[in-house]
Amino acid sequence: MTGKQEKTTKVQQEKTFQRFPVGQRWEHLILVLSAAVLILTGLPQKYRDFAWSQDLLSSPERLELIRQIHHIAAIILALEAIYHIGRAIYLMARRKLPGDMLPVWQDVIDAGHMLQYLFFMRKDKPKFGKYNFEQKVTYWVLFFGFAIMGITGFVIWFPEQFTQFLPGGVVPAAKLAHSTESIAATVFILIWHVYHVHIERLNLSIFTGRLSEDEMRTFHAKEYERLTGQASKNAQLREKK
Amino acid sequence: MRLRNYFLIAGLAMLLVALGFAFSPVTAATHLTGKDEAGQPVPVTAVENDACLACHQNPQFSTTLGNGETFNLYVNPDEFAHSVHNERNLNCVTCHVGFEPAMGHGLTFGSRREATLRMNEVCGQCHATQARQEKDSAHAAARSVGKMEAAICTDCHTAHAVQVLKDLSTGQFLPGMRTWIPQTCARCHSAIYEKYRDSVHGAALTDESNPDVPTCIDCHGVHIIEDPRTSTFRLNSPQICAKCHTDAKRMQKYGLSTQVLETYVADFHGTTVTIFEKVAPDAVTNKPVCYDCHGIHDIVKVNDPQKGLAVRANLLARCRDCHPDATLNFPDSWMSHYIPSPDKYPLVYYVNLFYKFLIPGVLVPMGILVVMDFTRLMINRFRKPKHIEKVKTTEKPEEAAPADEVKLSAKPEKPKSTDEEAHYD
Repeated sequence: MTGKQEKTTKVQQEKTFQRFPVGQRWEHLILVLSAAVLILTGLPQKYRDFAWSQDLLSSPERLELIRQIHHIAAIILALEAIYHIGRAIYLMARRKLPGDMLPVWQDVIDAGHMLQYLFFMRKDKPKFGKYNFEQKVTYWVLFFGFAIMGITGFVIWFPEQFTQFLPGGVVPAAKLAHSTESIAATVFILIWHVYHVHIERLNLSIFTGRLSEDEMRTFHAKEYERLTGQASKNAQLREKK
Repeated sequence: MRLRNYFLIAGLAMLLVALGFAFSPVTAATHLTGKDEAGQPVPVTAVENDACLACHQNPQFSTTLGNGETFNLYVNPDEFAHSVHNERNLNCVTCHVGFEPAMGHGLTFGSRREATLRMNEVCGQCHATQARQEKDSAHAAARSVGKMEAAICTDCHTAHAVQVLKDLSTGQFLPGMRTWIPQTCARCHSAIYEKYRDSVHGAALTDESNPDVPTCIDCHGVHIIEDPRTSTFRLNSPQICAKCHTDAKRMQKYGLSTQVLETYVADFHGTTVTIFEKVAPDAVTNKPVCYDCHGIHDIVKVNDPQKGLAVRANLLARCRDCHPDATLNFPDSWMSHYIPSPDKYPLVYYVNLFYKFLIPGVLVPMGILVVMDFTRLMINRFRKPKHIEKVKTTEKPEEAAPADEVKLSAKPEKPKSTDEEAHYD
């Protein structure tokens, strides 16, 4: 081995950190697929006045089929949500639930810091922990969004059963909320989530499960410091200037 | 020479006009009526109505048909005298074409209905449009499958006492004629008429000659009367009701909402029905249309104590037709054509208000943040090469290494063990 080769090998030995265990990666995959099916089968039902929607809903059988697909995807997503919450409760009961995703005051400070950065009032980005405030916003907006979608969806799916114990007015309210929240959530994913994981940087850690050391230093400096006890790149660069 | 040309042109023009007259429908009609089956001219003008009435004004004047039926040949001279056809100077033989002075006038019929049906074809001579429309009607369809009792022209308009129904200059019905319509249909559809007469529409027509309420033909059409039992009719029916019920001028007289169609279409049932109406007009669906809840002919006011839909039990009964498990809360799932407001369906109103603020209030700032973030990102990209240059000079990495690897090698030394991965979930 020549010295050069040795060095190249050394350079490519990139350390990676596990970010998502395999269970969470599967959860995300199920979530993405079922949500995509729900959006695609829900949109023609919502935008019934448009020609493309009417082409899809061209017969009672077709409408019934689209509704059935929507319902099946809804059940899959609901089961996934039950598993997700059930697991969280299970871990919480054993005091094993990592609190990384919980919103804390530091997130507000980070958001303020980030805002200053975006207004060119600061040169450095905040140092984030395992999940930055943007990711927490994504999680919690979708958490409550899916909760609303799920509850209202079942209300309009089974109106007779729900009105046994709820006033009838909940059904049109649920219909309105279901239809509006779906658009809000979809637009949210498209602008917020897609920007942060595809455009700002391609972050495939939810599929690969791992982040490179470089990504850890750059985007999750605090977490990197906590795990390795080393100064992150951000801190290093600041020192240099 | 010139003068001769003028004469030639004038002569040709006159010839054309003369030909036009010869083939015009007016003259053609006399041709038709003026010939018998063999095409021999019959002296039509010679047959005056008085000649016919000489026999036919006798109430006992009748004949026996092939099937043994007695066919009364009496024509009430007074009735005919007051008919529009007499007023327009039409003769008996204008309609009774192929007349022969001989016994039976050269006509033989197996039954009374056969005689009526054959005579009925004559109406189209003058009333071609109506006759053509009638051929597409439910009545014509019924006759084509052997139900010969289905109405023909004279069943509604009578044979000899035909009346003018409309003011020909305005197209409006003459006084009393709208009331005459349901009574005419009632001759066959008596059970339906009974329901209609007691309905909010029928009562207003019969009792006050109300010009705003529909008669039979306003919904079912006239002459081209559609079969109301088809899926197409069902899916289209909300539009029939909407013709009047979205007409603000007409509705405000009675304090009725014009948002009935809009609110219906916005809800589950109306949405589906309108989609099918557009894309699959013959689709069979049990999704309710107006008349499934409000009644077909026995439509009453919503606050009618017996049958009105404002009485919850009545509405619930309608719901249960399709939703057998519905309980007393269920009818409220349908907003009864109300637009949500703080008083009516406040929950829906506030959910709508919430999203009206939430969507622009959250998604727009988020969009702005994303744009700002992207701008900053791009600015940093342009500055980055400088950065690396700096690092390069200070840290002196391998000259062959590309930029990314430079970055890595520029970092402080990595932890030795790559197996020491952070499992921190």
